[in-house]
Amino acid sequence: MLKLYAELIRIRFLTMLAYRVNYYSGIIIYAINIGAYYFLWGSIYADNTTLAGMTLTQMTSYVAIAWMSRAFYFNNIDNEIGMEVREGKVAVEMLRPYNYLSVKAAQALGEGIFRFAFFAIPGLILIRLFIDFPFPSTFSAWGLYLISLLCGFVINTQINLLTGVLTFFFMRNEGLIFAKRMIVDLLAGVIVPISFFPGWAQSVLGYLPFQAINYYPSMIFAGVIQADKALQVILIQLVWIVVLFLPITWLWRKARHNLVVQGG
Amino acid sequence: MMIQVQDLQKVFQIHQARSGLSGAFRDLFNRNYKTVKAVDGLTFSVEEGEMFALIGENGAGKSTTIKMLTGILNPTAGEIRINGLVPYKEREKYVNSIGVVFGQRSQLWWDLSPMESFRLLRRVYQVDETEGVKWLDRLIEELDMQSFLNQPVRKLSLGQRMRCEIAASLIHKPKLLFLDEPTVGLDVLVKQKIREFLRNLNETEHTTVLLTTHDVSDIEALCKRVIVMDKGQLIFDGLLAELKERWGSDTEVTFHLKKRTTTDDVRQVLGDLPCEITQDNEITVKLKFKHEMLPYVLSTIMSAFEVSDVKVQETSTEEIVRNIYSTPSEVVSHA
Amino acid sequence: MGQVIRLFSDYLSQYFKTKLSYRANFFSELVSNLVFELMRLAFIGIVFQHVDKLKEWTLWEIVFIYGYFMIPYALFSVFFGFWDFNERYIIRGEMDRILTRPVNPLAQVCLESIAPDRIFSAITGFIIMIYAAFQLKLSIAWYDPFVFVLLIISSVMIYAGVYTAIAAVSFFSDSRTGIAPMIWNIQNYGQYPVDVYNNIIRFILTWILPFAFVGLYPSAFFLRKAEWYTYTMLTPVMGIVFFLIGLVVWNLGLKKYSGAGS
Repeated sequence: MLKLYAELIRIRFLTMLAYRVNYYSGIIIYAINIGAYYFLWGSIYADNTTLAGMTLTQMTSYVAIAWMSRAFYFNNIDNEIGMEVREGKVAVEMLRPYNYLSVKAAQALGEGIFRFAFFAIPGLILIRLFIDFPFPSTFSAWGLYLISLLCGFVINTQINLLTGVLTFFFMRNEGLIFAKRMIVDLLAGVIVPISFFPGWAQSVLGYLPFQAINYYPSMIFAGVIQADKALQVILIQLVWIVVLFLPITWLWRKARHNLVVQGG
Repeated sequence: MMIQVQDLQKVFQIHQARSGLSGAFRDLFNRNYKTVKAVDGLTFSVEEGEMFALIGENGAGKSTTIKMLTGILNPTAGEIRINGLVPYKEREKYVNSIGVVFGQRSQLWWDLSPMESFRLLRRVYQVDETEGVKWLDRLIEELDMQSFLNQPVRKLSLGQRMRCEIAASLIHKPKLLFLDEPTVGLDVLVKQKIREFLRNLNETEHTTVLLTTHDVSDIEALCKRVIVMDKGQLIFDGLLAELKERWGSDTEVTFHLKKRTTTDDVRQVLGDLPCEITQDNEITVKLKFKHEMLPYVLSTIMSAFEVSDVKVQETSTEEIVRNIYSTPSEVVSHA
Repeated sequence: MGQVIRLFSDYLSQYFKTKLSYRANFFSELVSNLVFELMRLAFIGIVFQHVDKLKEWTLWEIVFIYGYFMIPYALFSVFFGFWDFNERYIIRGEMDRILTRPVNPLAQVCLESIAPDRIFSAITGFIIMIYAAFQLKLSIAWYDPFVFVLLIISSVMIYAGVYTAIAAVSFFSDSRTGIAPMIWNIQNYGQYPVDVYNNIIRFILTWILPFAFVGLYPSAFFLRKAEWYTYTMLTPVMGIVFFLIGLVVWNLGLKKYSGAGS
């Protein structure tokens, strides 16, 4: 079984590699997004030294790392599930001796590894050439960042699985998926750090899993969250991972039931 | 002359993917290309009202040929003239006179009923309303589609859908109909209905029909003429009967006899006639020989033994096709 | 052309019939589009909680530009929705079917992907723009509505040109999603005044992928920012030029498709 998933991960990795225009354009997308936000934030800060407790330097490294973290955790499996459901391919997948959602998760991981190696890492180095921002100074800070980032990846994948499975109930949910992507980007802190949100919004977001995707790891990288607090943050992420398993399992059971009753 | 094809040629540059991970990575920066002659010097012509089949193995150049004939692809060299038009040069005008069914691809709107698709296609082809409705009514009746006309296409069975596909491709009463694998996966009854319909269409409207298929019974039921392609080249163009004669394997006849008979008894009667004789059981003998020997064998056996039953099995086109492919192409290419 | 316009109404009714068979999704799409627009407004709102001005621009000026920015994009999306052009028409081979029909291929592809519901997004944008105009107490001259229509049309043509060219790239490359998403990302920077970016990005957004002409440059006219008027006047020119580029690239691509095939 483990071999199967290893193979799925490898195949996804190779598939990603096979489409070269995507590969080039992916790097360019991120470079342009980071560059644009870099200048946007530069203009926003203007004469201010700190906004919402962050200096401009912390902000620029936050922007760079937030996008690079996104480069790693982002994937399209919700759309893919949607497409497979609509085209009825899911019925075939159900006959196979594996769990469909685990397969999707394995593919997400394959894509993630590709993105980490070919988007995030070279992207980070590339951007470091143009924008001066400090890297974490200690090995433990790097370690904490990477662990937190991996947790963020898992949570994002779980949310994607959730939205993907919703296709079983709505058939066409491209709109929902699209809106979700925007909401995740905003509420995970890719576009603006959570500390910039008004107080009430911050307390609401405390009860939602989104900031565990990107805000936490990026704040660890930018040095705003220090080592002792970082462990606490990772613990919160782990709790979210466990909590998110519940709705996925429940919805998946219901979806499978629906499929059996209605015949896809 | 409906279709005239002269020295048709199509050459592709195909990307050769390197194997493995490092290969895929190298492909990112530098690709290998291979030149492939998909169609190589094809010449044939078709009269109006003919029904003919284009057969050949996968990769023989069939679909490339169809794509060139339908105006989707430009030929690398050579000439095509169909219905007085050059498909790739006057595409929009030309496609008004043809109908195309790609068996694997739908031209119907998935979420809507076939009726809606027909209505829209009538507008696309600018079909006169009253004429078009009358024609469609006839198609609906002949293809027996009444019962499912108002269900969304996604809910139709494959057979129902294929009948709709054929109706959709005929909505503008084209003079020439291309059918690319139209009967794949259909059950015998639906196949029969579709064949019957096509035959009737050909008789009453003189529609020229070009068929590509893997299903030999399609050809036997519909086409007199067959064109066989292999490795981009035409290796046979003629009547189905000729094709059978050239590549047909032996005729097989089974005799049920009233008395016990051995293969030796039969051999004795037939003398040194080239013939394969096998014994099924005590009273059943099977003979395999060249088709032209059939009258001789029949009369000889009938007069020598008391026969209770005879079964003559003709070579199927299926076998013929298999024979063509198993023959080395150098031997065949004189055609 | 006449036939295409007649077909448009046919495809329109087809569209609504399809959408009505998935009513729930129809509304969820409308709502999610609205959510998407509000998210971007939220960013502007959040930023202006911490600062009073972005360069020389006030909150309501930025909101006004954003409102304008929404309109041409929404109108363009009504007629052009083939974001999955590569997947649907090239990889799955639907282009072959398009080519066996007696209507201009580009028109067919557009007709098959119309999204009239996007008109709501244009209305939302218009409301946002008008609301911001009231907050700014902008004066409205008699010619403003005419200029507005002209500029919106020009902006739509820029989108049409750019994305037609991008879609046509699929004819040359076998990539799965192509580069449309990348351009879409760049496009979103047209929603802010381009002078917040550095010169290189400004240059790109003005001349290469002219998304400043779908936001700041035209709206500067109504904000009465005289220093941008030259660019405002260039907007129709850019519209025509980019639209033509789009058509040329498309036709080249189509030629390549028929020449090489798959």
